[in-house]
Amino acid sequence: MKLAIVVQRYGADINGGAELHARYIAEHLARHAEVRVLTTCARDYVTWRNDYPPGIDSVNGVAVERFPVDHERDAAEFGLRSDHVFFRRHSLNEELEWLDSEGPASSALIARVRRNVSEFDYTLLFCARYYHAYHAARTVPGRAVLVPTMERDPALGLSMFGAIFRGVRAIMYNSHEEQALIHAASSNAHVPGVVVGIGSEIPPSVDPARAKSKFGLRSPYVVYVGRIDANKGCAELFDFFIRYGAERPDAPTLVLIGNAVLDIPSHPRIQHLGFVDDQDKFDVVAGAAALLMPSYYESLSMVALEAWALGTPVIANARCDVLLGQCLRSNAGLYYANASEFAAVLDQVLDDRAMADQLGRNGRRFYEENYSWSIVEQKYLDMFSLLSSNRPSHRMEKLPGWLARRQRSLRPAAQVLDELPSGPIGAVA
Amino acid sequence: MDHNQGRRGHFHRGRRGPDRRGPDRRQGPPPEQANRVERVERVDVEQIMREIRSRIAQRSGVDLSNQQIHELAARRLEAILDPRGLKPELLEQLRRSAGERTVAVDAAPPSGAESYPFDEATLYDSPNGFLRFLRKLFNPILRMLFNPTPIAAALAKQSRLNGELLSREAERDRRQAEWNALHYEVLQRLALEVSRASLESQSLSLRVESLAAKVDFNERRVRTMEGTQVQARPQRLQESGPSAAVAAPTPSTDGAPQAQPEGQSEAPRRRRRRRRGRRGPGMGVPATTGIADATSAPASDAAVEVEEGDNDTDEGFEEEVSADRVEHHEDVIASSPSPASETAPEPLHTDEPGPPREE
Repeated sequence: MKLAIVVQRYGADINGGAELHARYIAEHLARHAEVRVLTTCARDYVTWRNDYPPGIDSVNGVAVERFPVDHERDAAEFGLRSDHVFFRRHSLNEELEWLDSEGPASSALIARVRRNVSEFDYTLLFCARYYHAYHAARTVPGRAVLVPTMERDPALGLSMFGAIFRGVRAIMYNSHEEQALIHAASSNAHVPGVVVGIGSEIPPSVDPARAKSKFGLRSPYVVYVGRIDANKGCAELFDFFIRYGAERPDAPTLVLIGNAVLDIPSHPRIQHLGFVDDQDKFDVVAGAAALLMPSYYESLSMVALEAWALGTPVIANARCDVLLGQCLRSNAGLYYANASEFAAVLDQVLDDRAMADQLGRNGRRFYEENYSWSIVEQKYLDMFSLLSSNRPSHRMEKLPGWLARRQRSLRPAAQVLDELPSGPIGAVA
Repeated sequence: MDHNQGRRGHFHRGRRGPDRRGPDRRQGPPPEQANRVERVERVDVEQIMREIRSRIAQRSGVDLSNQQIHELAARRLEAILDPRGLKPELLEQLRRSAGERTVAVDAAPPSGAESYPFDEATLYDSPNGFLRFLRKLFNPILRMLFNPTPIAAALAKQSRLNGELLSREAERDRRQAEWNALHYEVLQRLALEVSRASLESQSLSLRVESLAAKVDFNERRVRTMEGTQVQARPQRLQESGPSAAVAAPTPSTDGAPQAQPEGQSEAPRRRRRRRRGRRGPGMGVPATTGIADATSAPASDAAVEVEEGDNDTDEGFEEEVSADRVEHHEDVIASSPSPASETAPEPLHTDEPGPPREE
């Protein structure tokens, strides 16, 4: 079996959630099939500037083909177009222009996908909201297996994505909440789909004491891992934590791992470690009293899964349906919706160590039962097997005509999104 | 012992953990802890969150039921709708609108304005058959004189427009009724929240007052105890030998030295009498005291000030201190130099002998 994986960026040094997801899947499926990654030369997800040289490359034993991006993203233009399609009545043509301005627009990459349609049995398309996934799905709909990695984002309300979700051969969802959201947005229940998620490369042994000694951490501490950004809920996290610390002289330390986009407040109980290697990260997380996940929008939190794999309980933002659903299904995490709940939950985890340990054990079991690599790989292989044994029962809808594409008859995407159901999915049979 | 039993304040977290004793001292878990262990094994995140949220609700709010809060809110709505700031009839209007909502929503267009089909045949229609026949007969002549078709079309259009306007009007009324109900609901909720906040504020202010009173009492109590300890030393010195106060005679206000034995015994007695005199109405000060004080008016004023201060501090303290100790304390105060004597140019006790004052 030959598989193509199409993703916006790819590299051993790229740690974005979806990109890392694609790399892990490529490396693990390479044990079962011949895998080739088709990607762009971009390294920066904001500008899509061509940093890597075009051509063939190899990353951890997986063949990679890179294609140049046609143009970098113009942030001002993208902002204006986003504002238009998200909040005003618009046309399909304007949505397509928005997609082009979002990028990474690489006509060479799409041409490569189109050139040898039958070269690959299946083409895995990562990140539905980007240019490459949309156009590649329209190019090879019968072989396209979409990994949408969609979150509750206004882009989901754009009409052009409905056709993609209804027209691809299969969809590999990250979470039950994502699946429910896409079903509601595009009425695509007829498309084969399965909730898979992603495993992680958990080291066989972790040494929290080493990390504590190396970074001078004092127990107890709680940890946040990821980009330190207001979009990830970090501003709210700092606010809640500082208020919590003001009332409690023996508050734990908040340890931050990741690059900071947001200014980190100067506080004696906040310790920023910056970007650390995987071993350090796992050691720190394993020694933490809890992992904090303040993000409002996630399609799947790999960090939360890693924490659960290490037996560390998670404290998540209750406003994120996916995180809330994972906490409920796993019985391994608590959640907060405001400052007082944040304080009470943190107190609960720190005070009741027996309960926290049990949460950690539940998390480890949840990870092993749902996200261990053998299970993830098997779900992909089962899906390919299912698709091979059945003929496609649906087709990709054609684009409307020239005039219809220019009629401003589409509702604002944000309005469409608001009408979609929300909330976590509880226990899944 | 289960340290986590019940809800502890965060400041007790130093004793965190179920059991911090060594393994040799650790015994089997008591029944409640065994239950807890069992509960922990079947940890339910939703249940934990429910408990946490109920704790937060208990801690943050005044303990009133929803029903009580609603009643309070309903009562206070009139208070919020102050006629000075709003139209006096607003409340009635809102209530009437909310009450009439169903009527307004279900209101149909007036029956007299109902639309009916209007075409050219309607112009010549009549209940009288003969008349209908004549009109039909002479219709070609009529058409020769003018064209009735545009008139019929215009009337038909007008009839349709009337129907549309009526339905639009009904829709507008329905929406207005909904808006009115919404406004009423918003005001109701606003009143609810304001009631809740004011109750909470009232509760907090009472708590602050109570704490302030406690702090004040404790401060006075500490001052009294400190004063007792400091002043006990001169008293002991006085018992062992001639005191400094006795050795250094103090002048009286009129400059005449007074007899030392009388002066020493008079002051405590006077103080005791004055204290008793404040205990209730009708317990007047004896005339002799007044005469004795009259000989040393400025100094005794200062003494009264000091004593009143002491009395103030003792008001709560007297319940705990025995009568003997109070008397001893008063004797000590009487025989020791008071802080006022350090700053005041005149001596505090005028009944002790001393050098004559310079005029």
